[in-house]
Amino acid sequence: MAAAAETSSDRTLRNAFGSVLSFFILLLIGVLAFSIRLFSVIKYESVIHEFDPYFNYRVTQFLTKNGIYDFWNWFDDRTWYPLGRVIGGTVYPGLTLTAGTLWRILNSLNIPLSVETVCVFTAPIFSAFASWATYLLTKEVKGAGAGLTAAVLLAMVPSYISRSVAGSYDNEAVAIFALIITFYLYIKTLNTGSLFYATLNAIAYFYMVCSWGGYTFIINLIPMHVLLCIVTGRYSSRLYIAYAPLVVLGTLLASLVPVVGFNAVLTSEHFASFLVFIIIHVVALVYYIKGILSAKMFKVAVTLVVSIGLVVCCAVIAVLIALVASSPTMGWSGRSLSLLDPTYASKYIPIIASVSEHQPPTWPSYFMDINVLAFLVPAGIIACFLPLSDASSFAILYIVTSVYFSGVMVRLMLVFAPAACIMSGIALSQAFDVFTRSIKFQLPGISGKSEFDAGDTSSSSVVAANDAAKPDKSEETLKERPSRKNKKKEKEQVEKASVEKASTKSKKEKRLLVLPLEASVIALLLLVFLGAFYVVHCVWAAAEAYSAPSIVLTSHSHDGLHVFDDFREAYAWLRHNTEVDDKVASWWDYGYQTTAMANRTVIVDNNTWNNTHIATVGTAMSSPEKAAWEIFNSLDVKYVLVVFGGLVGYPSDDINKFLWMVRIGGGVFPHIKEPDYLRDGQYRIDSQATPTMLNCLMYKLSYYRFVDVDGKGFDRVRQTEIGKKYIKLTHFEEVFTTHHWMVRIYKLKPPRNRIRGKTKKSKTKTSATSSSRKSVARKKNPWH
Amino acid sequence: MARSTSKDAQALFQSLRSAYVATPSSLKIIDLYVCFAVFTAIIQVVYMAVVGSFPFNSFLSGVLSCVGTAVLAVCLRIQVNKENKEFKDLPPERAFADFVLCNLVLHLVIMNFLG
Amino acid sequence: MVKLCVLIAAVSLLPILCLSFSPDNPTDRRVLVLLDDLSLKSSHSIFFNSIKSRGFDVDFKLADDPKLSLQRYGQYLYDALILFSPSTDRFGGSLDLAGVLDFVDSGHDLILAADESASDLIRNIATECGVDFDEDSSAIVIDHKSYAVSETEGDHTLIVSDDFIQSDVILGSTKVEAPVLYKGIAHSVNAANSLVLKVLSASPSAYSANPSSKLSSPPLLSGSAISLVSVVQARNNARITITGSLDMFSNRLLRSGVQKAGDSNKYSKSGNEQFVTELSRWVFHERGHLKAVNLRHHKVGETDEPAIYRINDDLEFSVEIYEWSGKSWEPYVTNDVQVQFYMMSPYVLKTLSTDQKGLYHTSFKVPDVYGVFQFKVEYQRLGYTALSLSKQIPVRPFRHNEYERFIPTAFPYYGASFTTMAGFFIFSIVYLYNK
Repeated sequence: MAAAAETSSDRTLRNAFGSVLSFFILLLIGVLAFSIRLFSVIKYESVIHEFDPYFNYRVTQFLTKNGIYDFWNWFDDRTWYPLGRVIGGTVYPGLTLTAGTLWRILNSLNIPLSVETVCVFTAPIFSAFASWATYLLTKEVKGAGAGLTAAVLLAMVPSYISRSVAGSYDNEAVAIFALIITFYLYIKTLNTGSLFYATLNAIAYFYMVCSWGGYTFIINLIPMHVLLCIVTGRYSSRLYIAYAPLVVLGTLLASLVPVVGFNAVLTSEHFASFLVFIIIHVVALVYYIKGILSAKMFKVAVTLVVSIGLVVCCAVIAVLIALVASSPTMGWSGRSLSLLDPTYASKYIPIIASVSEHQPPTWPSYFMDINVLAFLVPAGIIACFLPLSDASSFAILYIVTSVYFSGVMVRLMLVFAPAACIMSGIALSQAFDVFTRSIKFQLPGISGKSEFDAGDTSSSSVVAANDAAKPDKSEETLKERPSRKNKKKEKEQVEKASVEKASTKSKKEKRLLVLPLEASVIALLLLVFLGAFYVVHCVWAAAEAYSAPSIVLTSHSHDGLHVFDDFREAYAWLRHNTEVDDKVASWWDYGYQTTAMANRTVIVDNNTWNNTHIATVGTAMSSPEKAAWEIFNSLDVKYVLVVFGGLVGYPSDDINKFLWMVRIGGGVFPHIKEPDYLRDGQYRIDSQATPTMLNCLMYKLSYYRFVDVDGKGFDRVRQTEIGKKYIKLTHFEEVFTTHHWMVRIYKLKPPRNRIRGKTKKSKTKTSATSSSRKSVARKKNPWH
Repeated sequence: MARSTSKDAQALFQSLRSAYVATPSSLKIIDLYVCFAVFTAIIQVVYMAVVGSFPFNSFLSGVLSCVGTAVLAVCLRIQVNKENKEFKDLPPERAFADFVLCNLVLHLVIMNFLG
Repeated sequence: MVKLCVLIAAVSLLPILCLSFSPDNPTDRRVLVLLDDLSLKSSHSIFFNSIKSRGFDVDFKLADDPKLSLQRYGQYLYDALILFSPSTDRFGGSLDLAGVLDFVDSGHDLILAADESASDLIRNIATECGVDFDEDSSAIVIDHKSYAVSETEGDHTLIVSDDFIQSDVILGSTKVEAPVLYKGIAHSVNAANSLVLKVLSASPSAYSANPSSKLSSPPLLSGSAISLVSVVQARNNARITITGSLDMFSNRLLRSGVQKAGDSNKYSKSGNEQFVTELSRWVFHERGHLKAVNLRHHKVGETDEPAIYRINDDLEFSVEIYEWSGKSWEPYVTNDVQVQFYMMSPYVLKTLSTDQKGLYHTSFKVPDVYGVFQFKVEYQRLGYTALSLSKQIPVRPFRHNEYERFIPTAFPYYGASFTTMAGFFIFSIVYLYNK
């Protein structure tokens, strides 16, 4: 039929146009994701940010210099002195291997980028990949239009930007990409039932395990989803193919990574997957037997099995529970327990509680981090229910669990962001669909084509049509068949209908909702305005809020821009003025930066794996000078580094963190008691502070000679004058203070050559020079 | 009561057997393969219970290789089974090719993890 | 011509100057003696001559000499200082309390003698070194039971003592037979001070008081708590002798005979000369000065020092210890030097065996713990210089390919994996070719 041929050629032309357009749109999305993260490079410089990325950068340097075998076996003796750290077995290698490979490829192509440049720009590159992966994932859930919208939303969402700006070289930079790809491959396997995608899924899961400790989210979410599908009666053999090989291959691959090792089979975080593995086998067997038996026989089988099997099952479960309950944390790690019970960390593990990223988020942070998406997510959830398919049920489960976890820890907002983007993408795309269809149906001259255009989704802005017709059609039928409960199909976005299906579809089309023309035009404009607001907010957040490298600080004042580069100044001083083997003690926040930039051995660093060692340093900082000297001397420490913000008003200095030092030290050494440092429950450093506080090492090292600056010793962060102004150091000597007094370095004095007798020193009348010197000094320093 | 249940059980087994005999031979070969794999896995578990789990990684890789081959064979069976409506468009050669690929990855990982 | 000779003489003197105190040649060469009045040069000539005869350059100066200085342009002019100026309130020139203490802290030796006219300056120097003279400035040591018998009835301020420290290093191998005569003030030593030793203590019946006035309260210092001669070995091995009797060094007491009250033994010569000579030998580093060099370690079978060890490695450790005999370095032979393999606590503690020529060696196995260890040799014996050496070395765990390749108990698992692979192969053939 000519008309049919004409429409099919029209359709292929439109499809071709659509796929080319979507390809270019995806390219632009990638460029957008990359470039919005470049603000920090433009505003400051191409430098690695924060604390953790410095450790990753140092590991990457080692990898590029020494090769993978040495990296795999690397024993680092320059940190956690004198315990050392086995890097090969305690680091997630995904990020460093990725950056190392990238560097090696670029260098073999004779593009001589330095390791630092590759590290700085890894995160933006992988965020571009992540947005493409979101497109693929959402396309599997709802269709190409939703896919493109979700991709554009993810490229810009501030929560993801905060952890993947250029310079934030941390695990999440590649882990989010791995997460989304793993989910995409899982959904693809679920939709197609192909073992090929199941293999790819396992490999992507392996990449995720290599990259981030958050892989436990995947290995718990997927079993939950499988269980949900079984319970809601959506079991199918595709589910088995999607899940069972993943468990086997995934567990094997996860055990390959040294930092996970046998935890992949021994810890409670993985037990859910094994349990559901057993359950799905039972269910598969039941369905199989049901398929080959008649109904009556099946009933007999059921009663027989239930009576015997129940006893066996209970016995096995009882043994398992006894095994798990015998360990004190029931097999869960501390961090996982703090996720399940938000109050756990503050009661038992002060180190986990002290990290600012582990605090629960505040309500405004939701609006800051996902902005407009917070309103679109509920609409997306509803859209996923109409119709409910396996993939959309997965999306709903993903968003529900990630909302809960993001409420526990602010760091997990990052896992919530892709889910929010997917949901919002679905909602936006559906809304656009309805409005443009309403406009199209009500514009004259177009309504006649409604029969043939039944399947088209020609909205004005974004459209995408899949290339392959037949597998899509079968996909559609497969997805819709299990959802027996759905009658309403108005808002469904059917991809492509062949001519023979058009008749059935058009019957359904006649029941489609069509809104009045003016309303839909206005609504369309409002949606565009909403999108514009989102874009403006994201760009502002990327530029102002999340691009600070935190190793360089700036402040604007009436006389221009001040740059505070004190940290690097101090590390450079250490690098050039101390011996290679000298040990530097500081609070654990600065450990990674000290080893990476100053190249000196440190006592504790950000890895915080050994609580006793950190408690030793904390105790030393909280003790009086002599006791602190003894502790540091036993650890062979030569230099002590403290961060002090009182002169310039830098709020994250060691005096503000001091109570955590007391708590952590007191957790291991009971003679350090927190109430000794508080006056009436309040933490003070002014004249009302307790004597223990005024005599502790941290106080002395922070405020030594501070009174010489302005004569009064006014601390700009605490907004008071300090309590003890004239400080005399007997066991330490100051060797360096940076330009804005932000970092102060002290050296341990060697033990005295002679030990003094007990007689008090008497002043001779004729030793004029020494006595005059002493009396002049006395006038200036009334020692307390 | 017991006799009726035993009679029911016998009738059940009879119908199971007759239904099973009707399956095509290619599926029966797969089933045999699965049984072989599971049997090997059970032997290893018994051995571990006797000797102890010292080279735990070897134990894991041995058991998981057997379990993995069993699972993959079941997946192949699902895809090749003509009664399965969902896969009637999937050419069996494609199913077998996927099966081979997955097994290759599995055995590569096993060799790496074995010791 | 004359100028040339002078020039040559001056140039040839330079190496002699360089022969002064150095780590290779620790005996002091140039000694400065500060006196209250120059008559001490003759009244203590035996002591000074014994020093000079051992090869020292002795320089006598008055304590308030305005041209007095210990150093010039940052270099010290003397290697040792003898302060025989108890009543000096203020040194001349640029010397003061801090200067004396800096001199000691830079590794030089000091002999300090006080008497009943000791000034605050001398007392302060002693206190800074760890020795407390009696605060009562008029008190001297009186002993009514252990005094020196003499023709005239004295007030028992000239006392004898034979309560020597048991140390061959400090006092020489020959035992001092005759007791030592002493007349001066008392000092005490803080028992908690680990650097100070009492070389000559008073007898239990001694006490420190003013001999010409009645005692109103019990004396603060009495009995064996009174130390007559103390030595201090500072952490940088500078040696200080402090005593409260300048007369102990004088010719009169060196030559006189001695008889302790209540003791029938009469010695024709007091033990003072032997005592002070041997003591000065020790103070000037002619005895008891050790050096430890060549701390080496290597794996068994190799000779190079590795940068890192692995756990359960076998290694050998060696160190050489020498003693200065006054003229040359002799091997130091003993059997109680120990080495620790230390990481916050000693994991390995072994006594080193010697080859009688100064080389000490041992071998042991690196413990099963990884981390950053130190080889520590700590040797502190009475009278000897303190040896404290340490060398840092990291210890790594096994590499991934340093474990056993094939574990016998795991053969069933290997077998199972290979049979699975074979089964897969066979199955695919059978399946593909099945009609």
